[in-house]
Amino acid sequence: MTDHAPTLDPARDTAVPDGETVVARCPYCRRPFRREHARDLHVGERHDPTDEERERYESAREQERDDLWLFHAKAVVALGVTYAATVILYMAVLGSFF
Amino acid sequence: MGTDRPGTGLRSGWHGLVVTAAVLALAGRATAHSGSLGGSVASAAVPTWLTVLTGGVVVGGSFLFTTLLTDHEAMRGVNWWRVALPTPASLRQAAVSVLRLASFGVLLLVVATGFVGPTTPTRNFALLAVWVGWWAGYTTTTYLVGNTWTAVNPWLAPVALVRRVRDRFVDSTESHPLPDRWGTWPAVAGLLALVFLEVVSPVGRDPRLLAVVVVGYSLVTVAGAVRYGDAWFDRVDPVSRVFAAYGRVAPLQRDGDGGVTLRLPSTALTEDPLPDRSGEVAFVVALLWVTTYDGLVATPTWAAAVEPVVALGVPALLVYAVVCLAGFAGFLAVYRLAARTVRDTADTYVTARAIERWFAPALLPIAAGYHLAHFLGYFLGLAPALGVVALGPFAPPPTPQALVLPGWFGTVKLLCVLGGHVLAIWVAHSLSFELFPGVLAAIRSQYPSVVVMVFYTMSSLWVITQPYVPPPYV
Repeated sequence: MTDHAPTLDPARDTAVPDGETVVARCPYCRRPFRREHARDLHVGERHDPTDEERERYESAREQERDDLWLFHAKAVVALGVTYAATVILYMAVLGSFF
Repeated sequence: MGTDRPGTGLRSGWHGLVVTAAVLALAGRATAHSGSLGGSVASAAVPTWLTVLTGGVVVGGSFLFTTLLTDHEAMRGVNWWRVALPTPASLRQAAVSVLRLASFGVLLLVVATGFVGPTTPTRNFALLAVWVGWWAGYTTTTYLVGNTWTAVNPWLAPVALVRRVRDRFVDSTESHPLPDRWGTWPAVAGLLALVFLEVVSPVGRDPRLLAVVVVGYSLVTVAGAVRYGDAWFDRVDPVSRVFAAYGRVAPLQRDGDGGVTLRLPSTALTEDPLPDRSGEVAFVVALLWVTTYDGLVATPTWAAAVEPVVALGVPALLVYAVVCLAGFAGFLAVYRLAARTVRDTADTYVTARAIERWFAPALLPIAAGYHLAHFLGYFLGLAPALGVVALGPFAPPPTPQALVLPGWFGTVKLLCVLGGHVLAIWVAHSLSFELFPGVLAAIRSQYPSVVVMVFYTMSSLWVITQPYVPPPYV
């Protein structure tokens, strides 16, 4: 698949606030990150990683998967609640609930 | 440019019109008022506030749904899907030449019938062609099919002619570049000015005035394009900018070598952030605002709010102008605030300015959906009149036919608005995955824009569920 992804120019599009030290920076495009976790994911997704970087990428992905499971559980509950609330609201307004 | 204004003009003539064709007139109450959005939506037992709230819930719910789609490769598979359509270069060139000449001919006809045609709005070719055929109908094709404006722009033929004459008689190679720091702000100002003019002046019902405006616009455009070259259409001419912006939503896209590719609607927006130029984001926000503004001034709430202010002695034109500018500033401020908030929710060093540019294309399906809701009924209602009048522009029939739209058409308008927003959610979701690594940061980065989109949806749904009231004092 041809790559059509839009690109970011780190020199122009990122800025580190004064007095803040950058925790992690991409060794390929010099993009700064607030966490190593984000940098590891970025390197694996956007560049051609070395073996060590790939390992870090895999482990970051693993952690994402666990967090994502919890997030999705919340999202599904929120969807269910929204759906039920909307139906009940319509029943109330249209007069067949009370 | 949400042009309900011409609606007013054509609408005033509408009452005297004998409605002879009823298509799908299943409903008793025909919403014939040239597709006026007002009144037709909240006619069921569902109160307006619930309709508006449901719109917000649908947009928020679609965001929750998209968070379940986290396979970046699969998303790219959908967004990058394309089929190249066979369009030989020779055929394209021939079509472009024919279209340019034809559109220039239509421009001349519009000016001629504007000056000498009948003054009844529904019988005047200039009014029908500009507002129904062009601003409602043609604009719709730019986002539903593809942007053909670069081919049909009627000012390109005279521009080429004037350039040729100039090059022959004036020996000047001096170039006049537009100052870079202006960016695309001239187009932003032009768009706001055009919509303001269209709201406060009788240009939607007075063919003579319309002809004067068209001639003036043509002179400015030709002079500007001859002096500044193509930058004029890229950065100053609001009409070209509007169609270029809407065109990015469309399924047909030009690819690098000039060929045409078929895409899924609005997926082209996931590939290019806006250029790094001042005013690019503002133009997209202005496009969204002007349609809202145009609907807003035709609501009873607006009339009720303006009357006391004008009673205090404030000039009505000033009120309209201030609200036009203040509303635009407000929309832009809300968007900028959201972009700044993304910096925190996504925990990133990407600048707010870059985030603004990155996500602005996601606003375009919203603008397109709202434009469609605003104009589809108006276009369908008056298209038969346009067709009949176009057959004899200088001697139109006394009572052109019109189409009566059924009552359920109001629901179609709601679906247009919601459809635009759901596409926008998808585009923003895709763009966030391109900007932020991983899944959770990308999802969290969307919180502020989802809030903004819910706000935009609910406000535009509120506007379109209001009954139509002619804007007072203008």
